[in-house]
Amino acid sequence: MGAPGKKYMLKFDPRTELLFLVLANVVAFTQHSLWVEITWVVLLLLLIIACGCTKAAGRLALAFGICLFLQYGIFPIGPKILASSFTILVSYARRAFPCLIVGTLIIQKTSVKELMVALRECHIPQGLIIPLSVTIRYFPALKEEAGYIRDAMKLRDIHGIQKIEYLLVPVMISATTTAEELSAAAVTRGVENPAHKTSMVEMKFGVQDFLCLAFGVVFCFISVTAG
Amino acid sequence: MSNSKNGKGLKGKDLITIGIFSAIYFVINFAFMLLGGIHPVLWMLMPGFIAVFAGIPFMLMAAKVQKPGAVFLMGLITALIYFVTGQFTLVILISMASACVLAEVIRSMAKYDSFKGNSTAYVIFSLGMTGSPLPIWLFKADFLAQITEQGMPADYVSAVEALSSNAMLVVLFVAPIIGGIIGAFIAKGLFKKHFVKAGIV
Repeated sequence: MGAPGKKYMLKFDPRTELLFLVLANVVAFTQHSLWVEITWVVLLLLLIIACGCTKAAGRLALAFGICLFLQYGIFPIGPKILASSFTILVSYARRAFPCLIVGTLIIQKTSVKELMVALRECHIPQGLIIPLSVTIRYFPALKEEAGYIRDAMKLRDIHGIQKIEYLLVPVMISATTTAEELSAAAVTRGVENPAHKTSMVEMKFGVQDFLCLAFGVVFCFISVTAG
Repeated sequence: MSNSKNGKGLKGKDLITIGIFSAIYFVINFAFMLLGGIHPVLWMLMPGFIAVFAGIPFMLMAAKVQKPGAVFLMGLITALIYFVTGQFTLVILISMASACVLAEVIRSMAKYDSFKGNSTAYVIFSLGMTGSPLPIWLFKADFLAQITEQGMPADYVSAVEALSSNAMLVVLFVAPIIGGIIGAFIAKGLFKKHFVKAGIV
């Protein structure tokens, strides 16, 4: 891409994204028609493409297509054992797609910092925001950790039930040390300060936020009443 | 109170500890949730399986954070992440909230530091996950109609129907109790074998 980035990218307020997550959930739970679901997924995909997550949108679209194809193309004609063991997985995965799409947008385009500010703006107590953001940030670290431990187990040739113990114990120990180091860092930076926290991140609802939310609410309403 | 160390309220360190162990609890929980998708029997036994394996993060957190609110926050974070991924229902919300509140009450009665108190709280906390397959019994007809509509194969629907007996309902509730006790004792064994030696509890 030689040309300088002249493409205009949408940027939403994190609060809009959180509200969209709720909307995605509502639609996922209330609608029963396949076409409403497909329209919703396509619209959300267009939305995140507009925000600049083209690659992720492509992957999600492909995965959604595979799910639909499996459920309506393969399962009815394929062997029964295949259908009975995977249908529930596939249909749960399908139901999670709207949330997955909005989630991808949040993860790729919003930093945890911005998310924390947004949650604080929504008057969620610090006591929930801190552990929640730690949990979300710890998942990737946990994955990395588990990878190293698995490599180490391969070297020592550990098998069977022992594997669980040999995986869980180091994970727990490293989790404890991480908790300790992280708290030391966070306390030094004043996480326990009861004063209202200020932030460099500016939160403002723009035209695009209102438009998209209005559209989302209308779609949600239609799908609940008509679907 | 027994926690004269650093006050009653949750401090920054406690909150971070809860956050980290909630991440581990969630991963274990999620793995069995996926497994439950394969067959309805696995789904109904899921709360029990989770109880066996999630005892270690829970008990370690309970040992580290001997204050009110820790269990509740762990449940709340799990619930919020499930909500975000769209796998949450109202029934599980109610069952988990009541389990967390009960577990908190038991911990405060046991003064937070006894193995008995913490493991009882853990068994009750594990019971919270029964809300996942519970709609099968609560709204049997609606539930079957709904999953048929969602495109579940007839085999699966009839398997669910056959399993939705009263005996299975008992199994659903007994499994996390037994699992929780096993899980708590596994945690105790590992504490003795590793964690005390490593000086982390």
